[in-house]
Amino acid sequence: MFDLITLLVLIIIGYTAGTIAERRHYRSIRKREAAYLHLPAVTLKSGGYPEAEVASATLVYGSAVISIDYFKRILAGLRNIFGGTVKSYESLIDRARREAVLRMKEMAGGAAVIVNVRIETATIGKNANKKGVGCIEAVAYGTAVTLRPSG
Amino acid sequence: MKYTPRLPEDNVNVTPVSPLREFFTLAGGLLAVVVVAYLALGLAVDLIIPRLSPNVEQKMGGIFVKSFGTSRPDREIAGPVQKLLDDLQRRCAKLPYHFNIIIHEHDAVNAMAFPGGHIVVFSGLLSQVTSENELAFVLAHELGHYAHRDHLRGFGRALVFMAISAVMFGPDSSLGGMLGNALTITELSFSRQQETRADEFAVELVNCAYGHVGGSTDFFEKISKAQEPGIFGHYFATHPENRRRIDHVQQFARSKGFKTMPPRPLPEAFRSNPDIDE
Repeated sequence: MFDLITLLVLIIIGYTAGTIAERRHYRSIRKREAAYLHLPAVTLKSGGYPEAEVASATLVYGSAVISIDYFKRILAGLRNIFGGTVKSYESLIDRARREAVLRMKEMAGGAAVIVNVRIETATIGKNANKKGVGCIEAVAYGTAVTLRPSG
Repeated sequence: MKYTPRLPEDNVNVTPVSPLREFFTLAGGLLAVVVVAYLALGLAVDLIIPRLSPNVEQKMGGIFVKSFGTSRPDREIAGPVQKLLDDLQRRCAKLPYHFNIIIHEHDAVNAMAFPGGHIVVFSGLLSQVTSENELAFVLAHELGHYAHRDHLRGFGRALVFMAISAVMFGPDSSLGGMLGNALTITELSFSRQQETRADEFAVELVNCAYGHVGGSTDFFEKISKAQEPGIFGHYFATHPENRRRIDHVQQFARSKGFKTMPPRPLPEAFRSNPDIDE
């Protein structure tokens, strides 16, 4: 009985805390994405600028680690039995990727464009032990192209 | 190619679905499957139990009984208890078992029925009983479990069910633990019914053996007076509501018209263990 209560409390904590954190994070992501809209991050190999205009091309990267909450883990565990899309993990990966791209853009400073952008994900703490905290890390990296001040 | 910066209108990577709704759908589905499996198992156990051969039962019993090794002084008391039990069986309870008494050194005031006719009697019980009738009632109660084949019913479902949970979710998953808890609670209320039936069986048996039912409820009276969870906790765990049981036994005896007479004191042979004597 005690185990059952512990489990319920953990699920409720996981759900409330996880939902609040996620909402707040998305609000921040949307705000910053709008603020960095002027800086394109593209997968093209070059921005198409003439070499004479380019002041510098540097590696920029951003990474973010997002943890699952207990509720999402239980939900994914139930999904594990029946199969199907693990919807509870989708928002985690989405948040991690977008946060990583935003951090990469922050690192780029006054660049005109970030080219050759790649996004990778890695799991953290999965193999520590069977009940370890599952986290995912997203890394975004690319080449920030800064132009010479014109005129 | 002109680059026009704009934000996507909606997020294609996150399914717009309420996680709570998904949780309740999945958990409900799982619960339904478990309930169906549990009921099916109950039916399967009922089907299997009458077909289980004594040989298989003997083998099953061996697994449980191994943990209760008989030690030196126990053999001396096991004799008289065994004789009392054999006597009861021969005269009043024709059960197709070869019963085997095992005395286990433990403070618990209890006895347990295991598959294959192994009855484990805790030494705590022998040190607490005052009359032969009282001990006979406890033994008859265990015989009642064999008569109704409760000892198999209880073990059978619990064992199979825990095995399934272990296979599905692994041996120490939180889901498995949760199911295990739920199982014990329902199994306990199920066994309460069995205890009542075994009590009724025991009253009839004791009346048959002694011609009266005096001393039968002494055992319960003693336990409900000494409400010490440390010593009697084990007994209370599987035999709840002693008061209710006393009332039921007395009422049942009255309805059958059984007489009550002074019980026969317990012969010294049952107390030959110096560790138990006060």
